[in-house]
Amino acid sequence: MSWFDDVLHRAMVAAVLVGLLAGLIGVQVVLRRLSFFTMAMSHATFPGVVAASIIGLNIYLGGAVAGLVVAIGVAALSRARGQDAAAATGVILAGGFAIGIGLVATQNGFSRDLSSFLVGSILTVSTGDLLMIAAVLGVVALVLTIGARPLLFVGFDRVGARAAGYRPGLVDLVLLVLIELVIVAVVPVVGTILTLALVVAPAAAGRAWSDRIGVVTALAMVFGAVSGVVGLLASSAYDVAAGASITLAATAILVLSLIGGRWLGPAPRGREGAVRT
Amino acid sequence: MRGLLVDPFDAPFMARALAELALLALMCGPVSVFVFVRRLSFVADALTHTVFPGVVVGYLAGGVEGIFGGALVAGLVTALALSLLTRHGRLSEDAAIAVMLTAMFSVGVILVSRRSSYTADLTSLLFGRVLTVSRAQLVQTGVLAIVVLGLLAVSARLLIFRAFDPVGAAAAGYRIGWLDAWLNVIVALVVVAAVRAVGTVLVVALLLVPAATARLLTDRLLAMAAIGVGVTLGAGYLGLLASWTASVDHGLRLTSASAVVLALVAAYLLALPVGALRACRARRRATTVRGTSAAVPGPGGLVHR
Repeated sequence: MSWFDDVLHRAMVAAVLVGLLAGLIGVQVVLRRLSFFTMAMSHATFPGVVAASIIGLNIYLGGAVAGLVVAIGVAALSRARGQDAAAATGVILAGGFAIGIGLVATQNGFSRDLSSFLVGSILTVSTGDLLMIAAVLGVVALVLTIGARPLLFVGFDRVGARAAGYRPGLVDLVLLVLIELVIVAVVPVVGTILTLALVVAPAAAGRAWSDRIGVVTALAMVFGAVSGVVGLLASSAYDVAAGASITLAATAILVLSLIGGRWLGPAPRGREGAVRT
Repeated sequence: MRGLLVDPFDAPFMARALAELALLALMCGPVSVFVFVRRLSFVADALTHTVFPGVVVGYLAGGVEGIFGGALVAGLVTALALSLLTRHGRLSEDAAIAVMLTAMFSVGVILVSRRSSYTADLTSLLFGRVLTVSRAQLVQTGVLAIVVLGLLAVSARLLIFRAFDPVGAAAAGYRIGWLDAWLNVIVALVVVAAVRAVGTVLVVALLLVPAATARLLTDRLLAMAAIGVGVTLGAGYLGLLASWTASVDHGLRLTSASAVVLALVAAYLLALPVGALRACRARRRATTVRGTSAAVPGPGGLVHR
């Protein structure tokens, strides 16, 4: 029996990978204020995952298709008269979630599946899941590195970016698809609540220490991985749910960063300080 | 026909479920209008999750009777904490809400995860138990409905002022922070009233979809509230009926909470073409009689007042 076969060790690898991936994309989510979109996506890919597992298809494929439909749906609905993105996202969240749990309820033994959807089952992660997360981590890192300049430009000065020849619509679409990729890879393993926590909290904690996007991203990835490890150790020491204790570890890091960043971090410039590259 | 449409509600538990949904519809129609114009979708979603630790602590402390009190305390605390965090924190608003949501929910999960049957507890939080609503719960919901509508009635003018002209409201001497906290508390009360009976899924839908649907059909806030109540009532009735028919006549397990949400979303989708048609007409009118419209720009597009 190798080191990797131990349940806790595999979970540890999973937690570190998820922490790195979530921290990486989280900086974009926090800077562009897409937390609610992330939450809605994680709920709305759920019916795809359930339907795929009922039919017997690959669950990642099902989640990806559902996620794509949702992203297009939010974009289309928010163009309707008098509707804005928040309302459209809310309708999609409620509808997608209802379809998902409706589908789960038609199956036997559904309460276990539902709770693992919410809080994940990181202790039962398979090697295939780990490979999937590692692959997505590679893809996201590559795209974010290549697209760093246009993403930053569009995020902070849309009009200027358009005038400089970038296409803001396309850049936004790439970002949304990246977020969806991360959600599809991560939610089946760790659940929706932990996904949202690991995407938002480490990135917000990194933001408290620095104004430079590169530094913030590096810090967010480290914080994400550290919350994963600390949370898992606490969970096995005190016999509590793993996903929840990882979430609380990430929250604790954020709170400490907000307190520490006030003295050691960059001086705030107005309510939302500008970010340098 | 009567056997199909009315008889299912002869069963006392179906009648009670319908009554509960009717009470919630009365509350959610008006409240959802404010959630819509203030774009509080994420706050509403967060509140449905943050009452969870209160539910757990209440249950551990006082059994089934303690749930209500626990949820009430947790709801009020998070409503106030959310309004503080989003105003004064170094975090942006959506990040603060997300962190609050996940942290509070995790506290709840940690508390239940030490009990053996915790998956069942989580499931009943998601779905609620609309079919097992008791008479006492109906009374609780009724009282909360009166409280919520009362709070809303005394403050509606101010809340509308703040929603459409925050700078003007601040200049007129109103404390924006207090008004925001006030509205958050109202939303929290609705969540507390509804969450045990109908579950988080349905509460989120009841707080977001009615107003979004009504907005497609009208520009007036009062009409939006009325249409919201009507749409919710209709969806509640149709959802319960569909769930009953599917389970009893066809052996399909269709949970009532999902059926009601899906009926609501269907209403929204049906209203979309109407909204598109109205948008077309409004545009044509705007090009012919320029400058005579009494519309004011506000969140969520032009709203007549």
